[in-house]
Amino acid sequence: MMTEDFDRILDECIDRISRGDNVADCLSDYPAYSEKLGPLLQSMLDVQKTYTFAPSADTKRAARQKFYATLGKQGRMTPVLSLFRVIPRSAVWATTAVLVLAIVGALVIEPVLNPPTLVPSPEGNFAFLISDEPNDIGDFESLNVTISRVGLQAAGSLKRLEFTPETRTVDLTQLHGEESQEIWRGNVLAGQYSQVYIYVSEVTGKLESTGQIVDVKLPSSKLHISMPFEVTTDSVTSFTFDITVVATGNNGKYILKPQIGESGARQEQKPLE
Amino acid sequence: MNIGNRKDIPTINEYESRLADLYEEYYNKVARYVYVHIGNKEEAEDIAGEVFLKALKSLKSYREQGVPMQGWLFRIAHNLTVDYLRKMDKRRTVPIDSVVLPGNDNPVDTAEKNIEFERVTEAMKQLTTEQTEVINLRFFGGLTSKEVGGILGKSDGAVREMQRAAIEKLRGIMGVEK
Repeated sequence: MMTEDFDRILDECIDRISRGDNVADCLSDYPAYSEKLGPLLQSMLDVQKTYTFAPSADTKRAARQKFYATLGKQGRMTPVLSLFRVIPRSAVWATTAVLVLAIVGALVIEPVLNPPTLVPSPEGNFAFLISDEPNDIGDFESLNVTISRVGLQAAGSLKRLEFTPETRTVDLTQLHGEESQEIWRGNVLAGQYSQVYIYVSEVTGKLESTGQIVDVKLPSSKLHISMPFEVTTDSVTSFTFDITVVATGNNGKYILKPQIGESGARQEQKPLE
Repeated sequence: MNIGNRKDIPTINEYESRLADLYEEYYNKVARYVYVHIGNKEEAEDIAGEVFLKALKSLKSYREQGVPMQGWLFRIAHNLTVDYLRKMDKRRTVPIDSVVLPGNDNPVDTAEKNIEFERVTEAMKQLTTEQTEVINLRFFGGLTSKEVGGILGKSDGAVREMQRAAIEKLRGIMGVEK
């Protein structure tokens, strides 16, 4: 039983350290095990340090292009090309293939590699808002989250749209519960969407009790919600992305996470012009 | 959740979309996973690229049964690594002489890093195949113990036990040598 407990604690600490926590914090949470835990976690760090390397950006980019080219060929080209199977002449075939590749490249692969950035407009058909589900936000005097961009994933396809918020930094302490803040409004292509991403570049939290600035972590550099919604041309779709801050225990650490239950879209008729 | 409901089964487009999402998060992790096995960074990067291409081409046969898509990627990575090692006619050996570790141009630093690399690699060689896989998937693949269990066909408790035993073994070997 004791060993099982230890295995579980070691496992939890490995997960926490992999997410950016440090060994000392984990040991302080489990003082009864720290003598045994410390050397094992240090060995983990030694092994990770020895083998860690960052793949070259050029190689990764080339591999990504190959991946998306294959994706384009596999997902889009086959049905189109099958129409031309009856044409025997190789010259016609080759020309057609080049044209199709160019179209696929322009319409499918390019938008995936470089999603189009949408332009804000006060009369737009889409508004994006941020809100905060009150979990541990009461611990904070201010909690400023800086959002560098927002991505919308079209349903059933690889099409992704992005926009840069007009208001980039929001203070979550001002957005309790029903309160929300619009950070972007503009025109979004009508259609079905399935996922929303928020790319967070900075989080600064100041504690109410001590005035101390604390580290608030994210599971990754983006917050992600999978939720189907529709954008139409004749109404304004307002999507509220709810972010909540949660304490990770009694260690003074906090994480930000999306609150899917409080997020979602609603539509209102567009005012007549 | 009703697994038998066909409406719950994602379409091939949804799987493609999910794989594309995983690309950014998992390319580096897959490359590191391969690197631990083969000890060659350039080859590890190439194999990581191949993993995603192979996954893309095999999506039609992919079914999410106990193993999430990221776990499936590491299964493919494992198979491609084994193929590579077979081709190179070597098994988990690392060409220490050819290893170029990141760092500055200081020859003393580079030598120290090479010695450390050799020390850790020798310790890793003392683990069983399953222990190596657990360490690799947990430390470099970033998978949870449950996900690793799904890949290896073990319970998460068994994975945690193997993980602890493996780290204790590494600690014993590296601690003595240090």
